Amino acid sequence: MSAPEPQATPETDPAFVPHPTVEVAGVSVWFGPKVAVTELSCSFGPGVTGLLGPNGAGKTTVMRAICGLLPTDRGAIRVLGRDPRHDRSVQRDISLVPEDDAVPGALTARQLVRYAASLHSVRDPIAPEASLAAVGLLDVADRRVAGFSKGMRQRAKIAASLVTEPKVMVLDEPLNGADPVQRAALIGLFQTLGAQGRTVIISSHVLNEVERLASRQLVVIRGRLAAAGGHRAIRDALADRPRSVLVRTTQPRRLAGDLLASEAVQGVSVDGDKLVISSSHAGDLAELLPVVARRAGARLREVRPLDDSLESVFRELLR
Amino acid sequence: MSEVPAPPVGPPPSRRDPDAPRALAPPFVAVVAYTLRACLPAKRWFGVLLPCAGALLFGWLTHVNTDSAEQAFSDVAEAGLFRLILPLTCLIIGDAVLGADVRSGTFPLTWLSPVPFRVIVAGRWLGGWLVALVTLVPAMALAPLIAGVPEAVGPMAIAAAAGAAAYIALFLLVGVLVRRSALWSLAIVLLGEWLLGTTLTGIAQLSPLWEAQQVFAGLWDDGDLLLRSGVAGGNGAIVRLLIITLVGLALAAWRIGRMRPIGGDD
Repeated sequence: MSAPEPQATPETDPAFVPHPTVEVAGVSVWFGPKVAVTELSCSFGPGVTGLLGPNGAGKTTVMRAICGLLPTDRGAIRVLGRDPRHDRSVQRDISLVPEDDAVPGALTARQLVRYAASLHSVRDPIAPEASLAAVGLLDVADRRVAGFSKGMRQRAKIAASLVTEPKVMVLDEPLNGADPVQRAALIGLFQTLGAQGRTVIISSHVLNEVERLASRQLVVIRGRLAAAGGHRAIRDALADRPRSVLVRTTQPRRLAGDLLASEAVQGVSVDGDKLVISSSHAGDLAELLPVVARRAGARLREVRPLDDSLESVFRELLR
Repeated sequence: MSEVPAPPVGPPPSRRDPDAPRALAPPFVAVVAYTLRACLPAKRWFGVLLPCAGALLFGWLTHVNTDSAEQAFSDVAEAGLFRLILPLTCLIIGDAVLGADVRSGTFPLTWLSPVPFRVIVAGRWLGGWLVALVTLVPAMALAPLIAGVPEAVGPMAIAAAAGAAAYIALFLLVGVLVRRSALWSLAIVLLGEWLLGTTLTGIAQLSPLWEAQQVFAGLWDDGDLLLRSGVAGGNGAIVRLLIITLVGLALAAWRIGRMRPIGGDD
């Protein structure tokens, strides 16, 4: 008889936190033959947690299941110790800002936020105004949401979520459509909410964005948890993965030959004036490339990582 | 937890501000108001008012008929008002109050709240019924006046109000059962009520169309022109419509708790 497997704890597994408000235990969700989430186990606590993953990874499904919108086919979810699917009282403490554009366009931003406040029995009539102000929509609060830009609609949804004073906030790609100024303001807002002790779960497929937002990240790929921890841990997990870099230069063949002599380069393919360099040490390559190019008398016209998108990085994580 | 992040664009108005916002409505009132504002935008109102205009037109049509005013109106009431105007208008309203909200993906805004499902369903239904009371019911009540049978105004108003109550509850239920609720609702009217209800009394007893007609027939002095044997008329039909309404709402509330209010794809 084999010894029982030790249970994952926050000390041994970065997917878990010491004092969780949201617990996801072996959750699987599927839609007919399509498996959206497979045996996902993790937990979330106060502060901002980033849920990373490429499109179609299962982030939205996980978020909807956490809020109770979707039932789980296996496993269990607990929000503040309660089942969000069957215990309506959970909805007092949780809010979801969905990714899609589904906002009742006939309502003004103020009506939308006041509606959300009324549903949650918020008594303070100032609360909706404060929420609208917090996302910078007070000036346009009496305009219909249908006429809003995508970024403004996102902020209206965030205001409707904020007004309910949730302990757990689930935000699905909340920065989509926001311009750089709004983006910075919203990131500050989410960090403030996290610092207030709320559990803020934010999904994104943009690694840098989540690095700015959240000190802890969970990476979901094809419905599975692929990595967890701080952004440094995630990056470290990627460090030894081969990366591809495209280089356009005036001396492609000579540069290719010189680069192949380096240990940092695993392979080079030449196509016209373009080189595609495979390297397992992206940092070393970044230092090496200008030196080798200068030595070879080659001008670098373009240097671009081919697989820097989160999706390709995630694919590497899955291998 | 009560702290609100510092607003980046000016402070919110203070409580002492004379223009301070009015008090927030309780959840049930908010659901009703949402139904009237968000579920019935201008385009839907046009869709509701068009058949109402048709009801008035049917009233005028009776003057073309050479029979007595009562006979002419009973023909028009049966073929036009109860078979066409009542179900069609209620379908537009009933689909709008929930089915369209589910389809458009905006229903989670309401679903993700601590408000009990029965309150959500009751609020949506009441919102829809209020719309019927100010559009369909006056239009159907005016039709006999235009037709020259003023004594039928009261019975018609009661029949329209009771029929609309049951129809909206039925279509609201369809809205949480299937995605293409408008299509299914139309199928229920055409196949269930028109086709089967006409031949099978058992179906007619469950049909808002036939029961509403029986309410009118039972309450109107000349209602025997319309009265259908085997189906209760007058107050008995009102009770049946009330039961259909309550059962429809109860099933809808039960179903909402088990549905996936949004599509599942990530």
